[in-house]
Amino acid sequence: LSAENVTSLTGVQGLLIGAYSVLDGEIGLANSVGFAYGSAGSNWVYGSVCADDSYKGSTPTDQPDLVLLQTWSVSSANTSYVQQKWQMLFDGIQRSNEVLRVLPNVKDVSDADGKVIAGEARFLRAFYHFGGKIVFNNFPYVDESISVANNNLNVPNVDKSGKFIDIWPNIETDLKFAIDNLPEVQPQRGRANKSAAKAFLAKVYMFEHRYADAKPLLDQLISSGQTAGGQKYALVNFEDNFNAATKNSAESVFAYQASVNDGSQLNGNYGDVLNFPNGPGAPGGCCGFNNPSFNLANAFKTDANGLPLLDTWNNGNVVSDSSNLYTGNLDPRIDWTMGRPGVPYFDWGPDSKQWIRDPATNGVFSPKKNVYAKSQAGTYSSTETAFWGATSIDANNVNFIRFADIILWDAECEVEIGSLNQAEVYVNQIRNRAADPAGWVYASGSYNAGNSKYSSQTKPADKYKVSAYPTGTFTTQGQAYARKAVQFERRLELAMEGHRFFDLQRWDNGTGTMAQILNTYQQVEKNRNSFYYTNPTAQFHKGINEYFPIPQKQIDVENSTGQVNLKQNPGYN
Amino acid sequence: KRTGKVLGFDDKLPVIGASVVIRGSSLGAITDVNGSFTLTLKATDVLVVSYVGYDTQEFTVGDAAAPVIKLHPASRSLNEVVVTGYSSQRKKDITGAVAVVNVTNLKAVPSGSTESLLQGQASGVTVVSSGAPGSASNIKIRGITSVGSTDPLVIVDGTPGSLHDLNVNDIQSIQVLKDAGSAAIYGVRGSNGVVIVTTKKGKVGTPVITYDAYYGTQRPNSKGWNLANPTETAKAIWQEYKNDGLAPVHKQYGSGPEPVVPDYITPTAGKNGDPNTNPDTYALYSNQITKANKQGTDWFHEIFKPAPMQSHSLSVSGGTDKSAYLFSLGYLDQQGTLIETMLKRYSLRVNTSYKVKDHIRLGENLYAFYKQNPGYTNLPGVNSTNAINASYRIPNIIPVYDIMGNYAGAGSQSLGNAPNPVAIQKRTKDYKNDDWQISGNAYAEVDFLKKFTARSSFGGTVDYFYNNAFVFTGYENAENSTNPNSYIENYGFSTSWTWTNTLNYKDTFGKHSINVLIGSEAIKNLGNAVGASRGNYYLTNPNNLTVDPNLWTLNFGESGTQTNANIVNPAGQQTPYQLALYSLFGRFDYNYNDKYLLSGTLRRDGASVFATNNRYGVFPSVTGGWRISGEQFMKKVDWINDLKIRAGWGKLGSISNINSTNAFTLYGQGAVLSYYDIAGSSNHATQGLYISQFGNPNTSWEEDIITNIGFDATIIKNKVDMSFEVYKKSINGLLFPAALPSTAGGAAAPFINAGNIENKGIDAAVTYHGSIGTDFKMDLTGTFTTYDNKVVSLPKGTAYLDIGSGGSSTTYSRLQPGHPVGAFFGYKVIGIFQNAAEVSSAPTQDAAAPGRFRYQDVNGDGKIDASDRTFFGNPNPKFTSGLNIGASYKNFDFLLFLYASVGNDVLNIVRASTDFPQQFDVAISKDAVYNSWTPDRPNAKVPMLERSSNFSNTTFSSYYDESGSYLRFKTMVLGYTIPALKLKRIGIEKLRLFIQGTNLFTITKYSGLDPELPGSNTSSTLFGIDGGAYPANQKTYTAGVNMSF
Repeated sequence: LSAENVTSLTGVQGLLIGAYSVLDGEIGLANSVGFAYGSAGSNWVYGSVCADDSYKGSTPTDQPDLVLLQTWSVSSANTSYVQQKWQMLFDGIQRSNEVLRVLPNVKDVSDADGKVIAGEARFLRAFYHFGGKIVFNNFPYVDESISVANNNLNVPNVDKSGKFIDIWPNIETDLKFAIDNLPEVQPQRGRANKSAAKAFLAKVYMFEHRYADAKPLLDQLISSGQTAGGQKYALVNFEDNFNAATKNSAESVFAYQASVNDGSQLNGNYGDVLNFPNGPGAPGGCCGFNNPSFNLANAFKTDANGLPLLDTWNNGNVVSDSSNLYTGNLDPRIDWTMGRPGVPYFDWGPDSKQWIRDPATNGVFSPKKNVYAKSQAGTYSSTETAFWGATSIDANNVNFIRFADIILWDAECEVEIGSLNQAEVYVNQIRNRAADPAGWVYASGSYNAGNSKYSSQTKPADKYKVSAYPTGTFTTQGQAYARKAVQFERRLELAMEGHRFFDLQRWDNGTGTMAQILNTYQQVEKNRNSFYYTNPTAQFHKGINEYFPIPQKQIDVENSTGQVNLKQNPGYN
Repeated sequence: KRTGKVLGFDDKLPVIGASVVIRGSSLGAITDVNGSFTLTLKATDVLVVSYVGYDTQEFTVGDAAAPVIKLHPASRSLNEVVVTGYSSQRKKDITGAVAVVNVTNLKAVPSGSTESLLQGQASGVTVVSSGAPGSASNIKIRGITSVGSTDPLVIVDGTPGSLHDLNVNDIQSIQVLKDAGSAAIYGVRGSNGVVIVTTKKGKVGTPVITYDAYYGTQRPNSKGWNLANPTETAKAIWQEYKNDGLAPVHKQYGSGPEPVVPDYITPTAGKNGDPNTNPDTYALYSNQITKANKQGTDWFHEIFKPAPMQSHSLSVSGGTDKSAYLFSLGYLDQQGTLIETMLKRYSLRVNTSYKVKDHIRLGENLYAFYKQNPGYTNLPGVNSTNAINASYRIPNIIPVYDIMGNYAGAGSQSLGNAPNPVAIQKRTKDYKNDDWQISGNAYAEVDFLKKFTARSSFGGTVDYFYNNAFVFTGYENAENSTNPNSYIENYGFSTSWTWTNTLNYKDTFGKHSINVLIGSEAIKNLGNAVGASRGNYYLTNPNNLTVDPNLWTLNFGESGTQTNANIVNPAGQQTPYQLALYSLFGRFDYNYNDKYLLSGTLRRDGASVFATNNRYGVFPSVTGGWRISGEQFMKKVDWINDLKIRAGWGKLGSISNINSTNAFTLYGQGAVLSYYDIAGSSNHATQGLYISQFGNPNTSWEEDIITNIGFDATIIKNKVDMSFEVYKKSINGLLFPAALPSTAGGAAAPFINAGNIENKGIDAAVTYHGSIGTDFKMDLTGTFTTYDNKVVSLPKGTAYLDIGSGGSSTTYSRLQPGHPVGAFFGYKVIGIFQNAAEVSSAPTQDAAAPGRFRYQDVNGDGKIDASDRTFFGNPNPKFTSGLNIGASYKNFDFLLFLYASVGNDVLNIVRASTDFPQQFDVAISKDAVYNSWTPDRPNAKVPMLERSSNFSNTTFSSYYDESGSYLRFKTMVLGYTIPALKLKRIGIEKLRLFIQGTNLFTITKYSGLDPELPGSNTSSTLFGIDGGAYPANQKTYTAGVNMSF
């Protein structure tokens, strides 16, 4: 196909679909960057493994690149992972740009349609730049003027004086354009709409700590935000967010639309293909990566009143640890977040320790939010055999933003610049949903993948106890307590969804809390059967590891002119 | 009337068919089978006796009643007529760099890949082959001349073709055109050099039937991998933990102070007598009972076994003065030493020529073959690992089979992720990889006006291939052992045709002789190929999850899983493709008195791969020669029989392996790359588009400028022939895929004219013809090839281009001015840190610790970072050399061929797995067990064993660099020809029996299997890298026969 062939309404619509198709982070095995785990849409590598949510998993140095990342090594710029991420983001950016380059030449498009197409393209361009900004920080901004034809590809991340360039304003501009031009209701559920664009702009402001700018947007979204399908945003049954059969609910703000058995082999949730329990007979069968940490499991402990142990959660006995087993109350969300020994794993039977690939370093938990039920095998999991890991590819969407995110961001805004009472109301909305016994895991009864519920709800799988904060707790305890409670709630609610590292980064904001939290985590975990058992000297370097290194390969290419266009992030080799 | 005899001076055998003419008369005779002639002679008569291959001799009859005339062999090579570009020349008139290959020596090595036989047979030609039956070799003529393919143009009987599948017994002669003077007439296609092959033709006379055959056995490398046994392996794993200060724990070896090698590996760490070792509890997925192989399975020799090889070739040829014919049949069957690999080829050749009138000749050359060559490849479904890679990774505590005879594997827990190599190969048993090919040409020649010859030739190749593969559900693997099975089928064709028209004018006046040729040529290549697959086939044997090969069709399986697509064909081209070339060319040869030679060629080529404004290129060349020995003052120097110096300059072009749509930016569609389930259906993706390729309309020819100076000499009574050449080859505007930063987006980068490289080198060949007494004769031929390759410049603004390995972001090599193409680039290891004091006094290095690598601070800035990566190795040999020794004694003949490659570096990437086994608990080298660093072993070879990975043990470094020099005793042949007299009675003209041995030994310091490592056929930028290649050093012993009737 040549440029003439695509300069038409159908052509530009096709290019836009092409720009959406990069959302999963998968850019083709043939793209000479290898298996694209490092670019997975779910950000499990950066968001979960490099934070305290999960361990890399598998054998101690399977995927050695990931070991370097999880040990916060300063020599990780050569890893294929960061290269994959960087490459994927610019694939998405340039596909969005191509829509914007072709669109002005298209004759058969109405002004109204043209605006929507441009709005979606600029939304996607902002989305990909956002992904680069939080991972790499000093990520160059590439608009439609940058192209092979224009011979200006060595886009710098520094200005003439050698100072890093801040691209937040460019991302905001794109999102504002999207807000102004996108409709609320779109013909297909997978498209970005006005509310989604607002949600991303709010997310940008949250990362910039501009609470006063974020709050009005978040308030609007809570009161009147709606999905591209026209549903008003709402919290749904918790597990419905992680089930292919119930995806695109009222809670889904923007997601990667995974599909299987569509002739593509890899359009499913490819980025998480390693993140299944390991071994013959296990769900998926391979490869035992992304095992939730003991630290995370402990966070789900609740006290006698059903409230989280904000300070002492990681002390004492350990959840599911056979040598000093915790027997107290738990937040029921734990058993939708991770597979635990003995607890039913959908309809696959009780989670088995045999599913853990390397007991010395993988802990005892298996990932779950990305996994399908046995009854869904073949319909929501792939049977396309040309790829080696068909049984580990499913149609579970990757939620980039779900409504719970929005509520909890607004809670943060309330803590920082508004009312602690309102913050408590938001947090309690999240907790009350968790407290609904209809949405728990039961040791008795059978699992119905159609509605993500157990049919006989008589015997919960563990001692579940979760409650809302008693009214006025936040106000009584003060802002610091409220902040801690909101942040803790965010961890529990969004665990294993690739957000944790970036939340820590955002909350750190130069204070060093991230280094303190992760080094404490490492110090405790190295004495457990965790990743840090074999990496006892790993250390998070304050002022360095809050961001990942710019791929050495890109520095080599962009600077091969002899001029420094791309400057490595501080502290990396 | 007197009866005389003509004998050879050297062998004293009768010379049959010699012409004996009485000087000054038209009377003469031809010698008969006994070398005898009968003429009426006077004592004053002078006989002029001549025969091809001998110096013409004059003999004064005198009073000899039965004159015996002994003919001296002529300098054999000088008068040889050699086929060069579009014409033929006497060798002594050649002014370009042309190597003539000795076909007898070439045939002495049994091989299914004819091009591999060029190794060491022609100076200036470097050949590197794999041991896999039917695999292509890498040929470099005068070094790396392109970053794409370095394969030379092969012209078979005037038509572009391939050496690869030629029946070697059909070959009459091979010439290699190395410089611009000789190859520039091939213009755009000549830059990698040209190999000219002429096949045998029928000769005037009674029909001759020949039969050539051999049968033998190939013996795999006896050494195999140098791996630790299960007990040593377990101890090494314990050492990993201890070195990290950790308590060891392993699913199979327990958690005690000392590891325990279990009796069973499934059930995990099972003991004899455990209830679930009872065969009644056997179940494929839940309890696949497998005994531990405590001695250790020798996986290398489980997949490499002795294999037979045979070849038969039968030909019939003959002719009259009006027509000649040659008809030959060939059969080659080479079973690979890697089990389930093989090459079977059935071939047919029909060459005919007719003299319609005295001045009109017609003819054709036709070659057809069918071959079966199931390759060994990375298969989908086994984690992209081939059997050889798996054989050094799979722990040898795993046996080949479990207790029920099903395959055992790493499904037994904590034993890595490598698949069972035997299973990989045996499951390919019924795979097909078939190829049908017809190639050849038809031609007509007309002589007119006495001095002109017009010739038109139309030829080409039609190739059709079919292959299939069935991927079984591999129940025994650690990963993805429940994947549904699938079946893949691929078909395709490729076609090329060439139409060549030439007009030749030859004239001689006085001492001047000229030869002028003009011509035109049109070439078109096109092809297409499709692949389809389905999955979920019905199991015909549920016990081992196999499917009967009769069900391997696209009609079975689950229709919902089917896929189909245009594929990349076996030659590496994305299909469909087409390419056209149109050329005009001319050639002029001038010879004054056999002393002064001048020759020039000019060619203008147009290639469809370039945009119209860059489409045409002009390629001139000029060469000159001076036969000094023809001058009066040299006649006195009697030890010089012939001496010619020659020089040439010329320009060649290349389109390398440039994609035929390179000039255009293209949009594409692909289910995985651009389709998206925008509607959220979970099972249907909406079609989308993306830019698949960036075009570059400015890309043009790669231009090679070659300057060549050399001399040819025949000295000491025609006993020594020598040829020596010095050349410089500058390649400008190298075609190379642009290295774009990721900011471009994901489309394929176009080929651009990226910089210049230069080769300088020396080619030399010396042949000595000797004899002792009358019965012993010998021929010694040495060839010597050396080239020095370096990158001269890169496009403005580009300081270097990095070359990664496929599928990984690791840079193995960097293209940078001043360094050779393929030079290895990375951190340089200068030792192992011995203690904390050494670490703290050294430049800052991430994860530095005693027992880990210490890298060189190349830029001296006190810290080790990316800018400390440096060049540490060169895969290009300093020189290669071949020595052929041929000898005969009475009826015995003997041939020996030695080949050496000196100064080439090899990356032994196998050691990244076996010396650093912690990644998956894969197999461990004995070096890692007995020679890894501990405080007590400060001079260890391998760094400290560790449980985790870090900057020291995961980073590409000079650790893997080894010397790849070798000397190989390539072949030895001993033959015996049964005296003709005894055979005549049974109707046999000639019968020779021989025994032959190949690769009898190799002298090398290289620690891997074999330092001879072909790189990729499509890129010359990554080679000399050993990730577990099919070794080319299997020993072959054959016995054979050559007969003619």
